[in-house]
Amino acid sequence: MNSPGFTDSKSKIISCIKKFRSAGSVILPNAKPDLAEKIEYPSLNEEELLSGFIEELKALEVDSYVEYSPENVRERLRSLIHGKSILSWEPQSLPYDLGTILEKENVIYGRDEITVQTKAEIGLTGCDAAIAETGSLVLVQKKGQPKTASLLPFVHVAVVKKSEIYFSMGEFFVKDGKEAAGSPCVNIITGPSRTADIEQTLTIGVHGPGKVIVVIGP
Amino acid sequence: MSEKPQKIQLFHTCLVNEFYPEVGMAVVNVLEHLGIEVNVPLRQTCCGQPAYNTGFQKDAKKAARYTVELLSKTEGPIVIPSGSCTDMIIHQYPILFREDTDFLPEVTAVTKRCYEFTQFLVDVLGVSKLGARLDARAAYHQSCHLLRGLGIKKQPASLLENIENLKIMTIEEKDECCGFGGTFAAKHPDISGSIMQKKIRNIENSKADMVVSCDMGCLMHLEGGLHRKGSTIKLRHIAQVLEAGLQ
Amino acid sequence: MSTFSARVKSVINDNDLQIALSKATTKLSSGREASIASLENADLIRDMARRAKLNILHNLDENLLKFEHRLIDNGVNVHWAEKGTDACEVVIKIAQKRGIKKVAKSKSMVSEEIHLNEALIKAGLQVIETDLGEYIVQLADDRPSHIIAPIMHMTRHRVGEIMHRHLNVPYTDDIKELARYAREKLRSEFLSAEIGITGANFGVVETGTICIVTNEGNARMVTTLPKIHIVIMSLEKLVPTLADLDLMLKILARSATGQKLTSYTTLIHGPKVDEENVGPEEVHVILLDNGRTGIFGSEQAEILGCIRCGACLNICPVYKNIGGHAYGDVYPGPIGSVLTPGLKGLLEWKDLPYASSLCGACKDVCPVRLDIPQMLLSLRKNAIKEKIPFGLKIGMKGFGIITAYPGLYKFIRNIGSLFLRLIGRDGWIKRFPANWLIPTDLLNGWTKVRDFKVPARKSFQDMWIEREKSYE
Repeated sequence: MNSPGFTDSKSKIISCIKKFRSAGSVILPNAKPDLAEKIEYPSLNEEELLSGFIEELKALEVDSYVEYSPENVRERLRSLIHGKSILSWEPQSLPYDLGTILEKENVIYGRDEITVQTKAEIGLTGCDAAIAETGSLVLVQKKGQPKTASLLPFVHVAVVKKSEIYFSMGEFFVKDGKEAAGSPCVNIITGPSRTADIEQTLTIGVHGPGKVIVVIGP
Repeated sequence: MSEKPQKIQLFHTCLVNEFYPEVGMAVVNVLEHLGIEVNVPLRQTCCGQPAYNTGFQKDAKKAARYTVELLSKTEGPIVIPSGSCTDMIIHQYPILFREDTDFLPEVTAVTKRCYEFTQFLVDVLGVSKLGARLDARAAYHQSCHLLRGLGIKKQPASLLENIENLKIMTIEEKDECCGFGGTFAAKHPDISGSIMQKKIRNIENSKADMVVSCDMGCLMHLEGGLHRKGSTIKLRHIAQVLEAGLQ
Repeated sequence: MSTFSARVKSVINDNDLQIALSKATTKLSSGREASIASLENADLIRDMARRAKLNILHNLDENLLKFEHRLIDNGVNVHWAEKGTDACEVVIKIAQKRGIKKVAKSKSMVSEEIHLNEALIKAGLQVIETDLGEYIVQLADDRPSHIIAPIMHMTRHRVGEIMHRHLNVPYTDDIKELARYAREKLRSEFLSAEIGITGANFGVVETGTICIVTNEGNARMVTTLPKIHIVIMSLEKLVPTLADLDLMLKILARSATGQKLTSYTTLIHGPKVDEENVGPEEVHVILLDNGRTGIFGSEQAEILGCIRCGACLNICPVYKNIGGHAYGDVYPGPIGSVLTPGLKGLLEWKDLPYASSLCGACKDVCPVRLDIPQMLLSLRKNAIKEKIPFGLKIGMKGFGIITAYPGLYKFIRNIGSLFLRLIGRDGWIKRFPANWLIPTDLLNGWTKVRDFKVPARKSFQDMWIEREKSYE
């Protein structure tokens, strides 16, 4: 849809570019010839990816816990969130049957009033992919996966499956780019919210979470 | 590999000709010491950079065309004791004449023969130890066009390292411009001066008693700033340092 | 407006500014250097990113149309704006049609460029900047001085004073506390704003993705809470595919702040689809020209490949000494010296291409290897076609002639050299006396900060000829 009155701008812009191109008057350098088509990434196994991911998380001051069974994940989660008000993804969108531990907690969901959501102390999410190279969490917005959970509370707890760790974002795009492009919004989260606007001094937790905790399960 | 050249053409640059003839003589002495015959094309003037960098490309082109025509009549490598002028000829001449398809081959034939002085010594002659000897604490200023334009970094460093008794001092922020920039120095004295003061502070902090560089433009500017401060720090072209103590 | 030289004079002796600039640029530059050094295949990635940007530009019209098509498929409303005022009008119309009064903005240079805030306020809208730096700028009625660090020119004390005065909070210069003030004040603004406005760091042609990166999370807020999200995107921001986006993201944060990746990379594909979730109900993209097609047809078309990382500002010896405001417009530093004359006209902005020593550091650090010095040179070439001092023009004409006639060159050289030696003392000139023989203005630019060495009595060529003769 073009808003009426501005189709004029469109034709002006496009015809202007066309005019310069057809006159051959565009002076643009060409890219270096014989460049590789794509970057070759190291092929790492699950353990190597995991240790790379954890190392990056450490550098970002993100706490991480590696658990070896679903029970352990649930136990870890319980200890992290117990007694707090939690803004969470829907139970069916969380891995490791985490819904079961939410039953006894004070939980708020994405469908609740925004004024209620903003009162939550902890945000609980799963994760669609994790990126080892940068310590990032890829969160795709879809049914049951509200993006407010990773944004509004001061603490964000994300549960990652070990098998979802990719080396680089580029690999994730190649494998799951289509799905990501079908979502209204994908957030790639790399550490806590930060600013260095004042005297280029790093300060944590401006608008988004000031603390990110990652629990990695089997 | 092809045989090492016996004879070179010296494009001495206008700054050396007018202000620093002793630098030109030092270049000659060093090359002759290495058994190279030096020829100076006597009708050379200026490579055209002052006009070119100010935007007067038409006028710069006259100087450039003249220089190319003059040098075309000579043979062998062309040695230039300035990173900036070498960069002008090698990189800017082809741009200046990009549409003059008739003349362009002559331009590229000349540019292919051009070498900055230290580049010629180290890369062409394969010499980095001349047997020079100098008691001094020298800080090396790498000029921007030499470093970033021509990518010449190791050559002057290895030549200096091999000078006996020379203590090489490091300047902080050594990759930083000194603020010269040709006509920029006169057009924007406040900015140029502010950049220069920082460079001078770094030079003074290095405890060097001498600044060595491959570009007389930077040195003329720094020398003027140091002279105003009443500083005793000496400024030398690398050829003058390499000439010291040669037998 | 004041002249460039006047603006420079007003900042060059500002000690606070000099300290702030030096601290900040050093920090950012060393962060960049370390971060790029640790990136495997950094050179290849930069070359590939450059290729992706150039490929877009070579077929800019087709890419724009393809991108528009994808956006529409994704349920996004597309608007085209030839001028900045057109873009402002689109925003105002969207707000007025729905009776909206409050707008929250994430940091966007292009909105600065088109003076969006002024236009919206004039139309009766309330506008809140939500990036911490931009928020301070807005409170203080100041202007950003750096494209990624808007208040680089301020000390923490100044920020403390501004917050104290405008927000009615106790004065502090504790940076953590100041950030907390902003978090609290702005949280309620996010919740009550009905339109969120952002720029776009990249637009992916293949998928119709709008990519926005922020460290604070404010872009996430304004693309989540208000019911309408408007993106203002200048038309050179495209990249071909998600794989290319990956390349850009690999170098953008590293070049900008030294981070491997910005804290939040947000990929927007349209309005929310399921009713349960929070998210905008409408997404609008305004594709803005505002002078870019003009640049596309100029010798500086390459500048449209810029990804706005700010690395060239942080490394530039001129920027480091004068800061962003002296450049006079929204894009400072080397990139601004090419962009501003291109977007707004060379005649009024011809000082900017000369605000460079051509040291080449900007080209060196540019993640997509833009040849900024070469573009500055071509702008200078065009600048002399505009009004220039008669003396300079004659002088340069003379240069062209003299350098092509060695006899004349030598003659002039001898007279000039003699003259300079006569007015010099002990081989130096501290200031040139007024006279008609030499361009005193330019030469006293030299002597303003340094002494002028008089020419040698004997030129090198004279010495050489003498030496040759003595051998005969």
